[in-house]
Amino acid sequence: MTVFKAFLKVLNKSKAPIIMYTVFLIIFAAFNVEKNDNPAQFTDEKPSIYIVSREDATGINRNLVDYMKKKCKFVDLKGQSLEDALFYRDVSTILFLPEDFGKEIMEHKTPKVIIKSTQDVNASLTELILNKYIQTAYAYSRIAKTEEEVVEYMNATLSKETKVEVLSKLDTSHLNKATFYYNFLNYSLLAGLIYVICLIISSFKEEKIEKRTIVSSMEYKKFNRSLLLSNGLFALFLWAFYIILSMIMVGNIMFTTHGLFYILNAFIFSGCAVSIAFLIGNVIRNKNAINGIVNVIALGSCFLCGAFVPMEMLPKYVLNIAHILPSYWYIKTNEMIKTTEIFNIDSVTPMIINMGVVILFTIGFVIITNIITKRNRKKD
Amino acid sequence: MLEHNFDYTIKALFRDKMLIFWTFAFPLILGTFFHLAFSNIEKNEQLDTINIAVVQNENYKNSVMFKKAIPALSDKKNKEHLFNTKYVTKEKAEALLEEEKIVGYFILEESPKVVVKKTGIEETILKQVVEEISTKEKTLNIVAEVTLQQHGIDETKRDIVYLDSWISATYQNILEEWEKKPTIQDISSPNLSYTMIEFYTLIAMTCLYGGVLGTVAINRNLANMSSNGKRVAVSPTSKMKLVFSSALAAYVTQLIGVLLLFLYTIFILKVDYGDDLSHIVMLAMAGCLAGLSLGIAIATLLKASDNTKMGVIISVTMLGCFFSGMMGITMKYVIDKSMPIINRINPANMITDGFYALYYYDTLDRFNTNMMSLLIFSAIMIAISIFSLRRQKYDSI
Repeated sequence: MTVFKAFLKVLNKSKAPIIMYTVFLIIFAAFNVEKNDNPAQFTDEKPSIYIVSREDATGINRNLVDYMKKKCKFVDLKGQSLEDALFYRDVSTILFLPEDFGKEIMEHKTPKVIIKSTQDVNASLTELILNKYIQTAYAYSRIAKTEEEVVEYMNATLSKETKVEVLSKLDTSHLNKATFYYNFLNYSLLAGLIYVICLIISSFKEEKIEKRTIVSSMEYKKFNRSLLLSNGLFALFLWAFYIILSMIMVGNIMFTTHGLFYILNAFIFSGCAVSIAFLIGNVIRNKNAINGIVNVIALGSCFLCGAFVPMEMLPKYVLNIAHILPSYWYIKTNEMIKTTEIFNIDSVTPMIINMGVVILFTIGFVIITNIITKRNRKKD
Repeated sequence: MLEHNFDYTIKALFRDKMLIFWTFAFPLILGTFFHLAFSNIEKNEQLDTINIAVVQNENYKNSVMFKKAIPALSDKKNKEHLFNTKYVTKEKAEALLEEEKIVGYFILEESPKVVVKKTGIEETILKQVVEEISTKEKTLNIVAEVTLQQHGIDETKRDIVYLDSWISATYQNILEEWEKKPTIQDISSPNLSYTMIEFYTLIAMTCLYGGVLGTVAINRNLANMSSNGKRVAVSPTSKMKLVFSSALAAYVTQLIGVLLLFLYTIFILKVDYGDDLSHIVMLAMAGCLAGLSLGIAIATLLKASDNTKMGVIISVTMLGCFFSGMMGITMKYVIDKSMPIINRINPANMITDGFYALYYYDTLDRFNTNMMSLLIFSAIMIAISIFSLRRQKYDSI
């Protein structure tokens, strides 16, 4: 109990970083909200656009603006810096519609349309839509006498949409959110556990305290056991806290089989995080170094393994390096859960293998810690 | 005395391992992480060729437009190469989709249909292209039909042979026009790489972390902070000289750290700061000055322990970097747009925004505003420090 009380004292002192890691998690998970209510029905991905044109435009100009607004997500940038909006990807395309665009079409000249774009996939899609409109209008200008006539033809032709069938019935938006949350948890769990456990171990290791502990009547095994137990209890508490938080933030999906696997995966990873923390706590001698080590390890594994930037966005060689980190296997499992439709032997086996790898890492860290402590004790 | 104190402050700063880790090594490590994680993002966001399948049924074989357009879009030599297309049976297409070898497949039933696995941008492009082709087909038919009517050729008068060549000539005309494409001209700046902001915030962070160096250097002169400070306080030297040389030593140390970071990011991580070297150097020096003066102001103003002072500097720096986009550039944009006052007084943003202005803008107005803000910020901080330092006396301590 004495050890446990001391443990709580140190824990109380390190509230601030834990709160900070949790706040990060909440902010980022909340930011990452995607809305798609009906996964079984196809909804067009709408690239964002802003159109610079006369407000009182009529005829083809008006019709083009209306059409683009329907097919794209119109962001109203009136009075704001267009350049900034483009750079920060608030819009992917800015379309400068010339005043005589409709007139030129009617006269069968090639109208010149100027755009500014981010040149990414969204901009390409916008260009595709724009191109379609201009080409169709151009063809109709052969047979129509007025702009209104062209507009009539256009509306009749463009209103017809291609049928799209979606096979997967997965609730992708909620699963994406859950996966993001649990991937980000890599940071909060690692940083939180390493920080607290290292601080506690090094507090008990301070020369005077260590000497007092050794001469006390308490059996060293009992001391070690209660230290281990308190740390384990803390890890369990932190894990449970983040699970409950995920239920609040992510919602119903946490109560399905998908959710169960996320929770199990996080549990196994928490164990691994504790073993990493023990290893570091036993290696370092300087309390001041903890902060630096926590940051480098937690941030490093997050950046390299796809907790902040999704795995599919990372360069291949980075992912290859990441194989040597347990976080990689933890995050990979999360990604697998996201795309699994039915949980059966075939789909679950690779997840179990990944979790097994994380457990192997845990065992490895425990063995290394034991070797190091043994050597240190001999040195003393 | 000036030189003496300068030399020893530099020595003391470089011997503090934790200090050197946070101001020198940590930015380099973080920069490396940024580089590893972000180097591929923008490449990934560009349109790549999309893997699709086309079901080769009777309808497809008989269609005019689809059979012409899809192979054209799948041709690797074509400038508009968009798809990697497999022509297969329906069963095979379903299997390919199930294995996620393709994004979706296209099947021509009574009307064209696209089958995909999920909603997404590539799926939408596939749908758009199919829609475009069928729109064009419909347009061609309508134009041909109306043209016939306008020429007074109604159904009774249609001579099949004559008509065929006539219609195909009209078709050909329109198709050729479509081939030419309307000129959509993209005039955006080539410097659109938004991940650069991350590296700019990194420079900002390093400049402001320099405040810790300032704190440590000044603490050596404060009687209430160190025994060194007590000895200095009773010595018959000008305090002004002491404080100035300590601050100068911290500034030089800071500049060395920032220089290292610049060299590393430019030559190894290939970060683009624009071409204007003299302005980059000016901005970096002003940034360091802002960090240093912030550190000194906190050191003199707060009557607290070393750790608390550093904690305050690090928290202020991280919060500033957060608002200027270090943990996601959208944050900077949102703050700039909806709460500009926060970023006007945020030194981290002044530095970040200054680099952004050099990189993205052609004119120097925005850069100059940021430079001025940094200098004013530094001046205020230095004024605060001077006021709280002067006439500091202790009868006993």
